[in-house]
Amino acid sequence: MERLASVGDFRQWQKTLKAGLDPNRKLVTVCADTGCALFGALGVKEAFEKAIAQQGAQDRVSVKATGCHGFCEKGPVVVIQPEKIFYPSVQVEDVPEIVQKTVLGGQTIDRLLYVDPASGSRIALNHEVPFYAKQQRLLFRLNGLIDRTSIEDYVAHDGYAAAVKALSEMKSEAVIDEVQKAGLRGRGGAGFPTGVKWGLARKSPGDQKYIICNADEGDPGAFMDRSLLEGTPHAVLEGMLIGAYAIGATKGIIYVRAEYPMAVKNVTAALAQARRVGLFGENILGTGIAFDVEIRQGAGAFVCGEESALIASLEGERGMPRPRPPFPVEKGYRGRPTCINNVETFANVPLIVLRGKDWYRGFGTEASPGTKIFALAGRVNNTGLVEVPMGTTLRQIIFDIGGGIPKNRRFKAAQLGGPSGGCLPAQYLDLPIDYDSVKQAGAIMGSGGLIVMDENTCMVNIARFFLEFTQSESCGKCVPCRVGTRHMLDILVRICSGQGRMEDLDELERLALHIKEASLCGLGQTAPNPVLTTLRYFRHEYEEHILRKHCRASVCEDLVAAPCAHACPAQVNVPQYVGLIAEGHLDAAVDVIRRRNPFVSVCGRVCDHPCELRCRRADVDQPLAIRALKRYAVDHAAGLSSTLGAPATGDAEVAVVGAGPSGLSCAYFLALMGRPSVVLEKQPVPGGMLALGIPEYRLPKPALQQDIDFILRHGVELRTSTPIENVEDLFGQGFRAVYLASGAQKGRALGIEGEQLNGVVDSLEFLRARGLGQKPTCGKHVVVIGGGNAAVDAARSAVRLHAEKVLILYRRTREEMPAYEEEIEEALHEGIELHELVAPKRILGKSGRVTGIEMIRMRLGDADSSGRRRPVPIEGSELVVPCDTVLPAIGQVASVEPGGRLELSSWKTIACDPVTLETSREGVFSGGDVINGGGTVIEAIADGQRAAVAIDRYLGGPGALPPDVSVSMYRATDEELEQAPPRLAEPLLPVAERLDNFREVISGISRQGACAEAGRCLRCDLEKLRS
Amino acid sequence: MGVGGVATAPGASDLEPASRIIEEMSPVTSGDIIPFLQRLQDAYGYLPRDVVLAACERTGLPASRVFGVATFYAQFYLEPRGRHLVCCCRGTACHVRGGRKILDAVERTLGIRDGETTKDMLFSLETVACLGACAFSPVMVLDNTYYGKITPHRAELLLKKIMKEES
Repeated sequence: MERLASVGDFRQWQKTLKAGLDPNRKLVTVCADTGCALFGALGVKEAFEKAIAQQGAQDRVSVKATGCHGFCEKGPVVVIQPEKIFYPSVQVEDVPEIVQKTVLGGQTIDRLLYVDPASGSRIALNHEVPFYAKQQRLLFRLNGLIDRTSIEDYVAHDGYAAAVKALSEMKSEAVIDEVQKAGLRGRGGAGFPTGVKWGLARKSPGDQKYIICNADEGDPGAFMDRSLLEGTPHAVLEGMLIGAYAIGATKGIIYVRAEYPMAVKNVTAALAQARRVGLFGENILGTGIAFDVEIRQGAGAFVCGEESALIASLEGERGMPRPRPPFPVEKGYRGRPTCINNVETFANVPLIVLRGKDWYRGFGTEASPGTKIFALAGRVNNTGLVEVPMGTTLRQIIFDIGGGIPKNRRFKAAQLGGPSGGCLPAQYLDLPIDYDSVKQAGAIMGSGGLIVMDENTCMVNIARFFLEFTQSESCGKCVPCRVGTRHMLDILVRICSGQGRMEDLDELERLALHIKEASLCGLGQTAPNPVLTTLRYFRHEYEEHILRKHCRASVCEDLVAAPCAHACPAQVNVPQYVGLIAEGHLDAAVDVIRRRNPFVSVCGRVCDHPCELRCRRADVDQPLAIRALKRYAVDHAAGLSSTLGAPATGDAEVAVVGAGPSGLSCAYFLALMGRPSVVLEKQPVPGGMLALGIPEYRLPKPALQQDIDFILRHGVELRTSTPIENVEDLFGQGFRAVYLASGAQKGRALGIEGEQLNGVVDSLEFLRARGLGQKPTCGKHVVVIGGGNAAVDAARSAVRLHAEKVLILYRRTREEMPAYEEEIEEALHEGIELHELVAPKRILGKSGRVTGIEMIRMRLGDADSSGRRRPVPIEGSELVVPCDTVLPAIGQVASVEPGGRLELSSWKTIACDPVTLETSREGVFSGGDVINGGGTVIEAIADGQRAAVAIDRYLGGPGALPPDVSVSMYRATDEELEQAPPRLAEPLLPVAERLDNFREVISGISRQGACAEAGRCLRCDLEKLRS
Repeated sequence: MGVGGVATAPGASDLEPASRIIEEMSPVTSGDIIPFLQRLQDAYGYLPRDVVLAACERTGLPASRVFGVATFYAQFYLEPRGRHLVCCCRGTACHVRGGRKILDAVERTLGIRDGETTKDMLFSLETVACLGACAFSPVMVLDNTYYGKITPHRAELLLKKIMKEES
């Protein structure tokens, strides 16, 4: 490589190099970024070179180690040009076959191709892979294409053409003007217009100016700059050269954090090459312009990403920010005018100068043109680097490109902007991301780190996590940051350990505002942001930690012994009973469960198992089949005791209204505390929704009866066919406390024309009739409206009542249906048709009977404040579905007393204290569906349990539940745990045998299966004991 | 990160490497303090106090200033490091994917906390706020080798293997 003496020389050199580029030449690009190198990319590259040489093809085929291709999750990534064939996760063993069949043979190897999880199909072409399809790779275009150690390769791809154009054809002011009109905003995080900054630097008087590239990338979770520097270092250098020319700087510095050894190495090598060729140094290409760059490393201080602290660090001082004004553009490094820009900002510059501002403005939004590289990480399927035009929505990034959340968990929030940013919840999924829109939502764009969080992330823990970080990185110079963040952190630590107070939340906000206002630099000014956004959008999580010492994501270690037990609303000691099952002690296992939940047989069949959703085993392979294990234990235990404790005796002081799971549980626990009670039930049978809602094919009557009998043996008096009109009357009868658990027995009305026709039956009424042994109305063509469990229960019941055709109509999509996934799955197997995105307009009839239902098609609009996408009717898309029975199941109405004196919530359920469950009337407590409008069985049971504690205390007792037991220490060995079989599935009755009866569909697991399944448990509750 | 040299006993350091560095970088001005300390640490594995003091005398840099810088930045160590350096990432992406459990397992296996060195000078443990390999979280670095998507069990096995080999 000779030194180029003139612009003409450069252009000639570039022309020659470009001509040498053969678009048809076979090229194997192997990503050798630090990330892919983790997975052996360098070995893969060598394997390719070896295999190609072995085939004697080294003259026809090139192999390049390139920078990051972006799809880090699937590293090592290999793309074969010119066909653009994409091979993910390439192993050394696969290379010879790839060389022979694809590189030389032109054919793809099916088993090695990328499989799209959504469609199941194999995709061969790079740009068709969903991860790439929606991206706009302007800055990263060369990253996967050029040899990152070769300046010739860069120049052959138009490298330095922009710099040469600027230096030889444009005035400095014109360069600044172009960048300014293009609308480039600082990509470091604040989004300050780059052209304006350059203009100010240019105007600043001074004989020596500096231009600095901030490659300190300290935001945890951000690695875009690292990959740019590793993969296309010349683009950054070229941007600096143009910037230096624009502002009149002759010296530049790249400040790279020390934790990026490969980036330092690559940019150092690139600089050396550029110098050798004459693009950096004195009299560049004969233009008389001088510019050279020094590479300096950081020493491990996040605060040095802040410009004045960065300058201090370069000057050999502690990284402490300085008051501004004067700003660095006036007085910066060594007191001279200094312009500091981010790596990605510089990478944009050559594109703007070469292609022009109008071209650039073709991407992105009006206020934020161009693209942005996001580092997509956290709980998302496709982690990696994503480059999209500004204005792309979070939903597109996380779901279309990112492939959604692993294990089908629910999205909770996306963290943007690192420790200076904020968490955006589901309601912002359709927000077009640009600098201004993100700011309005309370976060900042930041450098590009985008961390995805799901339902297993605790937002209070996240706020604490960020504050721990900023607290430890605070330089200590100013009091608001040094002391203020410490104070905020102390409060968060207390909240996370269950010692928070409600006043703490106001204190946090007060401190946050003061720290933001008074801190000297951006670190302190933004440190409170994660706390402020989590308080804004997830206040309920803070309140749960404080009021109920509950962490809904089962994360906070001081509150959670085992995530499964913590997630159980009734706090059943799950790991204990699982361990006992593994050891074969079934009676003891059931005993453990009954200490917190009397409905073992019921829950073993119908619980929605929140425990399984938090099971840590799920991070290894699949969660434990906890519900199936529970059922196994109670079905096979040989010597179950008839009661847990001695039955309560004496006069009943407590009246329980409603013999559903909530009421009966309350009576049970009161009895265990020595308080007999009377349960008053309106219907002729006990059980509530368990008997009269959930159909027998899910919950057989004998199984339910077993649990009810168990409860009644404890000194609980049951009076059926005893409706209660007025709760006050009960006090008149001598009771001292009342637990009101009347449920939500009525279905919400559709509110449309035709609802009163014969053949329209509320689903709950339909199910109740069946449960009472009556023959409910059910025609041949049944339409069920709704998406919850009641809808699916009604539909599957209709099938068994000889309906010929059963449809479920839902106004959203299957993913949004609240019904249990397993239930929906079985409904479809049983021949029920699910019609998504339709809503009823009116019911049609003739002679007073239903003949059909007019529907209108819906489409999903943007997310509403709950995060769910709002269904929007499509004009003119009405259609008529013929039917003779309509079963609405669109929600439940709490069964509150008409004209009753108890205070109601805004949803017309009974309002009560979140901890004690006491209502507005002293001595009256409430729980279950009547307070939550239709929840799960275990929530109802848990309310009954908590109310029993509260009632006992109200009546002067200690409110003591049966003591917890720690009998089983059983835990499989590490080897056994690693080699454990996959999660057990419960066998199902074949569909053909189900359709004309109500036999139980799910049968229990075998003894062998139970032992193996229980043996998969990691015994998270014993972890603290192991250390 | 540039560390992982041989541990030496404090107080009796060989000043020859430091002298060489001073000569190569001469004159060492206040603006050069950080690169200077980085090179010293590369040569000695950490920053022995006596070496730093001697270097200050040679270069004329105030010791208070130099120690001020050495104690501010996370990269500099004033205590000898173990032979094997374990670094757990505590960045956001690693945190959200269970990084805490990795650190717990490492602390439990080695019997030391973040920032400490084992008594037999075999291991030093540190954490970094982000290693920039977020797509592979959780990440652990052992003797400059990156391990991505690591599990607590595997981290334990890696460390135990070294402990066995070294005994």
